[in-house]
Amino acid sequence: MLRYVAGRLSWVLVILLAVCVFTYVIFFQLSPDPAVMICGKTCTPERIDTIRTSLGLDRPFLQQLGDFLRGIVAGRDYGSGANLVHCPAPCLGYSFQSGQSVWEMVLERLPVSVTVAVGAAVLWLLGGVTIGLLSGVKEGTWWDRSTMALALGGSSIPPYVLALALQYLLVVKWQVLPFPAAIPFGDDPVAWFQSYLMPWIVLAIGYACLYARMTRANVIDTLAENFMRTARAKGLGPVLILRRHALRPALTPIVTIFGMDFAGLLGGALITETVFGLNGVGKMASDAIAKNDQPVIMAVTLLAAFFVVIGNVVVDLLYTALDPRVRTTAS
Amino acid sequence: MRRAVLSCAALCTAIPLTLTACSGGGPAASGQAKPTADPATGGTVHFLEKPDFSHLDPARGFDGGVNNFYRLIYRTLTTREAAGPHSDGTKIVGDLATDTGRASENNKTWTFTLKKGLFFQNGAPITSQDVKFGVERAWDPDAGIGSPYAKQVIAAPADYKGPYQSGDLDTIETPDERTIVFHLKKSYPQFSSVVAQPNFTPFPKGTGAKAAFDTKPIASGPYEVANYRRGSSLELVRNKHWKRSTDTVRAARPDSFVWTFGLDAATIDERLIAGQGKDINAVGPKVQPATIARLQTPQLKQRTLAGVTGCTTYMSLNTTKGPLRDVRVRQAIEYAVNKQTTVDALGGSALATAATSIEPPSIPGRDATDVYPSKDGTGDPEAARKLLAEAGQSKGFTLTVDARANATEQAVAVAVQQGLKRVGIKVKINTIDTSTFYEVIGTPSQQHDAALTGWCPDWPGGTTFLPPLFDGRLISDKGNSVLSMLDDKKIQKRIDEIAAMEDETAQNEAYGKLDAEIMKRAPIVPLNYSKTVLVVGTNIAGAHTSISYSGGIDLVGIGLADPKK
Repeated sequence: MLRYVAGRLSWVLVILLAVCVFTYVIFFQLSPDPAVMICGKTCTPERIDTIRTSLGLDRPFLQQLGDFLRGIVAGRDYGSGANLVHCPAPCLGYSFQSGQSVWEMVLERLPVSVTVAVGAAVLWLLGGVTIGLLSGVKEGTWWDRSTMALALGGSSIPPYVLALALQYLLVVKWQVLPFPAAIPFGDDPVAWFQSYLMPWIVLAIGYACLYARMTRANVIDTLAENFMRTARAKGLGPVLILRRHALRPALTPIVTIFGMDFAGLLGGALITETVFGLNGVGKMASDAIAKNDQPVIMAVTLLAAFFVVIGNVVVDLLYTALDPRVRTTAS
Repeated sequence: MRRAVLSCAALCTAIPLTLTACSGGGPAASGQAKPTADPATGGTVHFLEKPDFSHLDPARGFDGGVNNFYRLIYRTLTTREAAGPHSDGTKIVGDLATDTGRASENNKTWTFTLKKGLFFQNGAPITSQDVKFGVERAWDPDAGIGSPYAKQVIAAPADYKGPYQSGDLDTIETPDERTIVFHLKKSYPQFSSVVAQPNFTPFPKGTGAKAAFDTKPIASGPYEVANYRRGSSLELVRNKHWKRSTDTVRAARPDSFVWTFGLDAATIDERLIAGQGKDINAVGPKVQPATIARLQTPQLKQRTLAGVTGCTTYMSLNTTKGPLRDVRVRQAIEYAVNKQTTVDALGGSALATAATSIEPPSIPGRDATDVYPSKDGTGDPEAARKLLAEAGQSKGFTLTVDARANATEQAVAVAVQQGLKRVGIKVKINTIDTSTFYEVIGTPSQQHDAALTGWCPDWPGGTTFLPPLFDGRLISDKGNSVLSMLDDKKIQKRIDEIAAMEDETAQNEAYGKLDAEIMKRAPIVPLNYSKTVLVVGTNIAGAHTSISYSGGIDLVGIGLADPKK
C-alpha cells in the first residue's frame, strides 16, 4: 500500500512539473510583454528595457524557468542593493502589477475559495445525490420526471445569469440577504453565513443538477443488475436492498467525479467569485489575466493543477476502500 | 496620469460639474441632503471599488484614481485646490510649501519654502531634506515607475540611480530645514505643476526601500493607513500629527475611510442604488452605461453627480500606411466620421460630447475651432467625397482599425465604421485583447491603419497633451505614443519654440493654435470628450467631481451629512 501511495505521489510531482513548464511557456513566452503594460503612458524603449531587466524578463528562457523552479523549492533573491528582497520557499515570485508576494496573495485569497467550495459541495452533494437516489428508485413516476426536467433546466442556466437574478430577488427586491462580502467566520458567523449562502447556491445548483442525473442513472443501472434480482429473490425488503446492496456500487462513480469537481473548485470559482465580489483565488486569476500579471496566473494555474492531482490521488485511495476489486489490484 | 482609456473622458471647465442637483426638475427627495452640501465632521465614508489601487507608494503609482487617493495620506510641495461649488479643482496652490514657488534664472531654478508645523504620522517634523529624499526616489530603478516629470525636468547625472544606490542628488539643494532649491535641465515655467506630482511626497531619509510604502506608507496628510489587505480592503484613520492650520486644501471631515475592493461593477451600481445599511455612506466608481437609464427618478437624480475626465477619445491615422499617406485622404476621413454616433456609442450625451479640437475644453488656451466643421459633429460626407476624388480614391478602400475587445470600444468602432461607409471606405475592425492593446498599437511594426484610443493631460495645459502625441522625434519602435507616425519638422520646431516660452499663459495659447495647425495635417480624428456619471449614498456630502482626477469625486472635501447614521 505504501509503495502504491509513494508511486502515485511521484507521479504527482511529474505532472506538476509538466504543468509548470507548459504554463511557463504559454504565459511567459507566448503572451504579450508585461513591461509595456507597466510602462504606461509616458513610455520609452529604454524604460521598457529597464522594466524588463527588473522583472528578469531579459534573461534566457531556460534560466528564467530554472530560477522559477528553484524558487519554489529553495527560495530566491530579487532586486539588488538596498532593494534586495529574499523570497522564501515556496517562492512563486512577485506580482508584476502590485509587487506583492504571490505566495502571500494565494494564502490570503485561499480561505475565501475554500469556503465557497466546501459550502457549495455540501449543498450539491446533499441535494443532488438525494434527488438522484429518489428519482432512480421511483423511475418513471411524476417525481422522477419533474425533478429531472428541473435538473435539465437548472444545468442549462449560466451561473452569472443565476447569480444576478438571485441577487436581484433575494437582496434588492425582498431584502432577505445582504450583498455578499467576504466576511471571516470569526467576525460575525451570521453575516458570514448570509454572505456566502448565495454564492453557495449558485455554484451548487449547476453541480447538483448534474449529480442528480448521474446518481439517478447509476441507481437505475445498479437496480437492474443480476445481484439485485438475487437479493430480491432472497426476499430482502426494498429499503434494505437499497441500503446494503445498491448504494455502494451506485455511488462509487460519484466519488470519482466529486473528487475532481471539488478539487477543481479549490483552485477558484472564477465566475461566482467575480460576480459576487468575493476576493478568492478565482477572482485573483481573472484580474491577473486582464492585467497580464504572469506570476499570478502561473501560481493560480499551478494551484489548481495541484488540487486536481491531489484530488485524484485521494479519490484513488478512497476507491480502494470502497471497491474491493480495486483494493486487490492495488495491493 | 496613464494613457486614457476610451471610456475615460475630458477635463472641461466649460461643462458644469454637477448635472444632478440642477437637472432634476422633480421634487427633491424628502429628508435627503444634496451630495454637494457641506459635510459634518466625523463618521466613516465607504468606497465600493473594482480593483485595488495600483500602488500606495507615490513614487510608483500614477493614475487618476490613485493620485486622488494620495492626497488623503500625502502632501506635496504644491497641489491643486479642492474641487467645490466655486472651484473646478485645477488651480495649483501651495501645500507643504508656502506658495507655488519662486523661479529664477529664466525658470531654470525654483525655490520653495516649507510651512511651519508640518509633521509625519510618527510625529517627526517634515524638513526640506525629507522632501528632497522623497523626490530622489523617482530615480530609483525599482521604485521610480510613477510620474516621469521629476526625471524629465530636474537636472541629474546620467548615472544617478536614486538615494538608495547613488546617495544625494546635488542638483536639489536644502540650504536650511525649510528651504528647497531645484536646478532644472532647462527653463520650465510649469514647474509649480510638476511639484504637485505624487512623487514629490516627503519621506524620512532612508525609508521606503523594498517597496515598503506599498503596504506601510508614512503619512504626511490628514489620514494614515490603519489596515490594508491588498486587493480586499483598506482603512484610513486620522493622522494625529497633521495640523489643520497648515492645510488650506483638505477639509478632512470624516474620521475614517474604508475601501472595499474587488467588487463587480454591476453589483456596485445595484448596491448604491439600493442604498441598504452602510451603503448610504458609500461612493463608487463611475456607473455602467447600462445603469444611466435607471437614474431618472427624482431620488436618484438628486444623488447623481456628473464629472468630466479631461481626456480626448480619438482615432489615430497612421500617416505612413497606404492611402493614408495622402493628407487629402486623411482629411476626407475627418469629414466622413460621424462624431455624434461615437458619443451615442459611449452612452449618449451624459457620457460624452463630440470633439472639435484635439485639446479638450478644460485645457487653458484651447482653440475650439473645428478645422473640419459639420453640423453637430455629424460629419460632411460631401466634402469627404470631394477630397477622396481629388486624391484618386473615389472608389474607396479598406481601413483596418485597431480597437479593444470590450463592448464600449467595439460600439465606438462600429460608429466609425458606419460613418466611413458613407463615403465608400470599408472599415475592418481589428479587435485586440485589452491586455495587449497598448503593446500592439505602440509598436509601429504591429499597428494597423488606425487605432481607437484616448489621451489625458497630466495637468491642464498643452505641455502634456500635444508634444507626447505629435513630436515625431519621440517615435520609437516600441512603447510609441506618436501613433500617427507624423514626423513633421515644422511642428517639431514650433513645439521647441513654445517650450522655450517663459510665460505659461502665452505657452498654452500657442499650443491652442498649434492644435489647429496639427489638425490641418489630419494625423488623428478627435472623436469626443468623455464624462463620468456617479451615484453616491444618501448620506454623502461634500462630493464635488474634479477634472484633475479623471472626473472622480475629489476626496479631500467628501464627508457625511449626518455622521451618526
